[in-house]
Amino acid sequence: MPKEVMRRQAADNEYLHKDFHGAMSCGIQYLQGTYGPEAVIEYLRRFSDAYHSPLKQKLIEQGLPALAEYTRGIYELEGGDIEIDLDDDEMVLRIAECPAVKHMTEHGYRVADMWVETTRTVNERLCEGTPFAFELLEYDERTGRSVQRFYRR
Amino acid sequence: MISCTEFIPAYSELFGYLESRGGKQGVVAYWEYISDNFLGNLRELVEAHGLRGCWEYWSHTLNEEAADFAMELDEEAGEFIIEMHACPSKGLLDRLEHMKPYADYCGHCDILYRRVLEPLGFECLTDMSRIDQARCQLVVRLKPSQE
Repeated sequence: MPKEVMRRQAADNEYLHKDFHGAMSCGIQYLQGTYGPEAVIEYLRRFSDAYHSPLKQKLIEQGLPALAEYTRGIYELEGGDIEIDLDDDEMVLRIAECPAVKHMTEHGYRVADMWVETTRTVNERLCEGTPFAFELLEYDERTGRSVQRFYRR
Repeated sequence: MISCTEFIPAYSELFGYLESRGGKQGVVAYWEYISDNFLGNLRELVEAHGLRGCWEYWSHTLNEEAADFAMELDEEAGEFIIEMHACPSKGLLDRLEHMKPYADYCGHCDILYRRVLEPLGFECLTDMSRIDQARCQLVVRLKPSQE
C-alpha cells in the first residue's frame, strides 16, 4: 500500500465543526458533576465576560440591532431556523430547534443537564451593565426550541 | 447556545476556570475525562482499522476545522503523521485581542490522543516547539512489539 498524503489549506474548507457542541456539552456535564451546578453558572459568566466583551460594548453603543446582527450570523452559520422580531426596546427570538441540540441528538452525544444555561446564563450576563435585560420565555429541553426576549430595562 | 464557532474560546476559558478551582491537576483531570468520555469515535476507528483509523478520524475533524495541514499515512512503515502548518484553534485564540488564551491550551492535545492511542499499541510523539506559530507535529507509530 503506497503512502497516502492529504494536504489542505484553511481556505479549502468552511470552519464549522459541529462536534464541538458535543465537547461543550461534555464540559458542562463534567463541571456540574465535579464542582456542582453553581460552577456551571460561574464558568459561563466568566466566559461571557471574557468572550463577549466587544459584543457587550456594541450592545451599549448601538443597542439591540447589534445583537440581532450577531445572532442572525450565528444561526445562519449553524443552519438554524430563527425568527427575529426587533424594535428599539425589545428583541424576541423564536428558535424552532437548537442546532446544537439537534446535532448532539443526531450523533449520539449526551446533552448536558444544564445545557439551557449556555443560553440563559450567557445572555443574562451579556446584558449586565447594559441598558437591556434578558429572559428565557420558553425552552424545550428535548429539541432546544425556545423563545428568548431581550428588552430595555 | 454557544455556537460551535465559539467553542475554542469557551474551551480555553474552561481550562482557566478549572485551574482556578483545582490547579493544573484539575485541568489535567478534565483532559483525561474528555479523552475517556468524548473520544470514543477515535478509539473505535483505531480499534477497527489500526493506523487507518487515525487517517479517517483526522480527515473528518481537520477538514471541518478548516486547518492548514499535511497528513500522511504509511501503513507499511506503521506510521501516521500530521504536520499542522496553522492550527485553527491556536490561531483563533492568538488573534483574539480581548481574551487571554489559557497558557497551556495546546497541552490538551497530547494528553487526549496519547491516552486513547497508547493502550491500543501505538506510541505518540508530539513536537510542540513551534506552537507560538500555531504549528505542531503529531507522529503515531506502531510500538515495536506490535510490528
